[in-house]
Amino acid sequence: MMNKRTPIQSVVLYTLVIALVIFCVFPFLQILSTSLKHPIDWGNPSLWPRVLHLEAYKELLGLMPTKEVEIPETIQRLLNNPALSEEKKQALLAKFSSGGEVFSFGRYMLNTFTISFVTGVFSTLLASLAAYAIARLRFPAQSLMANGVLFVYMVGGVLLMVPLYQMSVTVGLASSASGTILSLFLIYLIQTLPVAMYMLGNYFRTIPFSLEEAAMMDGCSRVEAFWRIIMPLSKPMLFTVFIYCFVIAWNEYLFASVFLKQYQDFHTLPLALQTLFTSKNAIWDRIMAASMLTLLPVIICFMLANRHLSGGLTDGGVKG
Amino acid sequence: MSSVILRNVCKSYGNLPIVKSLNLEVKDGEFVVLVGPSGCGKSTTLRMVAGLEDITQGDVHIGDQVVNDLPPHKRNIAMVFQNYALYPHMSVRENIVFGLKKSGADATTIASKLADVSEMLKLNEYLDRKPADLSGGQRQRVAMGRALARDADVYLFDEPLSNLDAKLRHHMRTEIARIQHQYNMTAIYVTHDQVEAMTLGDRVVVMRDGIVEQVGTPMEIYLQPSSTFVATFIGSPAMNLIEAQVEDGELVFSGYRIPISKIANTSEADLQVYRKVLVGIRPDFFEDSQLTSPSDHLFEFGSVKVDLVENLGFDKEITFKFGQEEAKARLDLRSHIVREQVISLSVDLNRVLLFDTSSQGMLLNAGSL
Repeated sequence: MMNKRTPIQSVVLYTLVIALVIFCVFPFLQILSTSLKHPIDWGNPSLWPRVLHLEAYKELLGLMPTKEVEIPETIQRLLNNPALSEEKKQALLAKFSSGGEVFSFGRYMLNTFTISFVTGVFSTLLASLAAYAIARLRFPAQSLMANGVLFVYMVGGVLLMVPLYQMSVTVGLASSASGTILSLFLIYLIQTLPVAMYMLGNYFRTIPFSLEEAAMMDGCSRVEAFWRIIMPLSKPMLFTVFIYCFVIAWNEYLFASVFLKQYQDFHTLPLALQTLFTSKNAIWDRIMAASMLTLLPVIICFMLANRHLSGGLTDGGVKG
Repeated sequence: MSSVILRNVCKSYGNLPIVKSLNLEVKDGEFVVLVGPSGCGKSTTLRMVAGLEDITQGDVHIGDQVVNDLPPHKRNIAMVFQNYALYPHMSVRENIVFGLKKSGADATTIASKLADVSEMLKLNEYLDRKPADLSGGQRQRVAMGRALARDADVYLFDEPLSNLDAKLRHHMRTEIARIQHQYNMTAIYVTHDQVEAMTLGDRVVVMRDGIVEQVGTPMEIYLQPSSTFVATFIGSPAMNLIEAQVEDGELVFSGYRIPISKIANTSEADLQVYRKVLVGIRPDFFEDSQLTSPSDHLFEFGSVKVDLVENLGFDKEITFKFGQEEAKARLDLRSHIVREQVISLSVDLNRVLLFDTSSQGMLLNAGSL
């Protein structure tokens, strides 16, 4: 028989739940609210903006018309001087035409998306192969390997940062932008693989082995059985693992701040946001709009993951 | 189709032997049933033929080839699993043709096989459904269809009907027998159900504790069991085994004296070294004395008090006692017997079997087919 709550218990319970939800959601509402407020409205404590102000978003997304800055006559005369090299002319012009691109949000988003997507794909792929081996195959030192992988996860990133950077410098990867990005990508792989393997390994164990045996009887090798039976059946978990890896890479700041410091063009969003905070362009609505846009893919990812987490793909395969 | 030969096949897990030196030959087109209690090694044997279990010792031949080191997918074997093992993400149609496609069959062959199998197993209306949308019986038919669609050398069945209800099991049993006969399939069928073993197999292999107790046709197994284990495992209710003294050319138990000379193929001299034997009488071979006419080979057990009567429709099972030992008899509906009634039961002595009390093996060549 179910325990029925008294009205007082219900009121206390719901109050606590609502308080907890507000506590979690409030910062996000504050970000959204500030990003939509006009500068004159910033002193208003209400979450509801008096006037909807989308300029910050438009600016970040490059939807604002480029400002034409008038060049003073003296400068124009300087530019007309044939003795001035083309390079210097461009540098001079840039000073008077700047203002269009205060913060290359699109570029940072593309950088972040690329590295997160590649990390997600590779991590999911490698984790699925490794997790299958640990879950299904028998080989020497199997449990040592399985536990060793989790041990990597237990070591904090700060501890590994300096040795990893040194390694990257020693092998020569840190000397070029592409090498640095490769180092960062490898670090993200190492960071996400343990949990990805753990999640997938546990999922693979729930798939009856007789399905693979049936595939082998139907003419599939073990590898084919893996690709044709196990992987399609693991779609919900593969998707979840991909989202997990993607979000980890998307939000990662520590390693990016060290590795990408000298390559501003390749900055990721968390790094760029930090720069924005401390720059001369640190205007509240812009910071909050950038934060909101950074959050958006993460929220979308979680919503998608939630939808795909329903599972149940192995239902009906074997006698329950 | 191909023959299957197992030579001195052993399987151990660590120091624990599961199958002990098994020898068996399944001829081309033959239907052999492995039967035995749980844990006797029958499924392990089947899985060794399939290649799903390594062989600890011995050889498995399929056709002319020793397949010990051949992976399962290269043995050209089709198998029906006890738990169906259908691919849950594929439709019934995709499940059935999966193996065919894998073997590289052309589209026409695949379509024709699919049509044949779905027609035979009455799966036409379910072809686009996923296994989760099917009932247990339908899933079992799909599992069967997936195996039958293949043009395999050997077909293996691992207790395929054990999850079905009695009615569907009977129907599917008939279907399997018909299909096997129609396609002349070489098949090995594992079951713990003696009815399936008796009705399906050209030959039945009775296993216990990893060894083969007896190999024979269903009627050989039923009428000439090699040991008390086979005698009691096959047949329901189990064979009655009563300990009897050998005295003056007679078998004496519970006050009854059966002349040894009247028992088929047995003479007094044959039993002179024994002081005791086990007398085996199947419940089916008892008859109500009131319904039989006297004959030289009939022995009458008089003054039998009926403890219990279980009506099964055409048959009725009665429980009574030989001394302290409980015994059962199956009589037909012509016998009007009630509980506590004292009756006489007759037995054809040609059907009486004698077993050694120590080895539990059958004595002489008693019993006739």
